Amino acid sequence: MKVFVCTSCGRAVFPHRLLCPDCGSSEWREERVEHGVLEAAVEREVRVGAVRTPLGPLAITRIESDAEPGAEVSLDQDGDTPLAR
Amino acid sequence: MTGDRRAARIVAAVETPYTRHPAEGTTTETLLADAFVRVLAGAGLDRADVDGLGVASFTHTPDRAIDLAWKLGVRPRWLMDDGNGGASGIQLLQHAMRAIEAGDATTVVLLSGDHFDGDSFRTLVDNYNRTTAEVLAGIPTGGPNVLFAMLTQQQMEAHGLEREDYGRLVVAQRRWAGLNPGAVYRAPLTLEEYLASPIVAEPLHRLDCVPVVSGADALVVSAAGEGVTVRALRALHNHDGQEGDGLQTGIAEFAGGLWGDADAGPEDMDVVSVYDDYPAMALAQLADLGFVPDGDLGGFLRRRFEDEPLAVNTSGGQLSAGQAGCAGGMHGLVEVVTQLLGRAGERQVESARLAVVTGYGMVLYRYGACANAVVLEAP
Ligand SMILES: [Zn+2]
Repeated sequence: MKVFVCTSCGRAVFPHRLLCPDCGSSEWREERVEHGVLEAAVEREVRVGAVRTPLGPLAITRIESDAEPGAEVSLDQDGDTPLAR
Repeated sequence: MTGDRRAARIVAAVETPYTRHPAEGTTTETLLADAFVRVLAGAGLDRADVDGLGVASFTHTPDRAIDLAWKLGVRPRWLMDDGNGGASGIQLLQHAMRAIEAGDATTVVLLSGDHFDGDSFRTLVDNYNRTTAEVLAGIPTGGPNVLFAMLTQQQMEAHGLEREDYGRLVVAQRRWAGLNPGAVYRAPLTLEEYLASPIVAEPLHRLDCVPVVSGADALVVSAAGEGVTVRALRALHNHDGQEGDGLQTGIAEFAGGLWGDADAGPEDMDVVSVYDDYPAMALAQLADLGFVPDGDLGGFLRRRFEDEPLAVNTSGGQLSAGQAGCAGGMHGLVEVVTQLLGRAGERQVESARLAVVTGYGMVLYRYGACANAVVLEAP
């Protein structure tokens, strides 16, 4: 999945912000993150989880596996929707 | 009155009967109009006296406060819309009292209400804000339950809590609801029944989630007359940029200032209202306010919801009285003002003089971003 990295100071965010929380810049580049650590998971219509990406942001994702909290998961995207497996 | 911080007072508070099955023809604006008529009657005021109007609603759109002013036939000098959900009631109060203190208005009616039918609730939660529509709705999260399920899991783990700990709060609120003819769920509830309620998203079960209702709330804030005064009011929104653990609200940062302004502390409160969208968040706000100085949340729930109960969410709270969308942000204010005016009927807290009310809400991504609180004093 894609996260947003401030081109001035390197701060990463997800979801997108208008100005960098740290330095106030409005210039972002998209960076792909392939893996993260599942911090929490819950079953509803689908499995939903909170995944800590290596660049810092915690992303809410659909989980398409039976990964349990603590496990490393791979990250992808379905349109704008983050996916973990 | 300029310069007197206590010039504004709340002289009337009402709630239309909350209902899960609204009568045919009910719309958001008919609910708001009903609340308007009732609160003016309660205050003994005439429509012509009203020179300020504030409105909070999710479903009133595309209309705004000015549409309502027109359709209700009022000519406000002060006009405000606020859609900040669970924080909107205190937000409107904050602005209205300053307007009165500054002389911009003398008699302000604050209205809050929502009506949901058909798909309108799902449409609201999927399009709650741009971020939700873009990155949450497609999962689909289907609303905030899954997010607060994860937060509740974390709070349980961090504090060694079990479901029955939250159950003490839910059962206690239902006891209050039994004394409130306006609550939608009033039947007595046991801890066993709470534990057995159907699962929504582990660890949240149905009785941990607010019943969605249609309804409206209203307050009159005035420069004259006998009423409830504001001792202190503080707010802090977006305190952590949605990058914290979500279990501490902005209240934790301003609680010291709030109590300092109020010249009182948690122990002085006769009545308490915390925004109870979920038991975990009600508990988080009580902790943020300073009601749990030793940090032992489980012990606090046993002590202050069973052994020597604190008067918390005496309407039954949203968990038992219902959540009428944005009106959930005014529900607690209406209940506490009713208590402080001595008009709470069977559930009246004796000699209620001081109370604290919190607002919390607006789930931007992971949890509520808005937080405010007010300390109120009986006339
Ligand atoms: Zn930056």
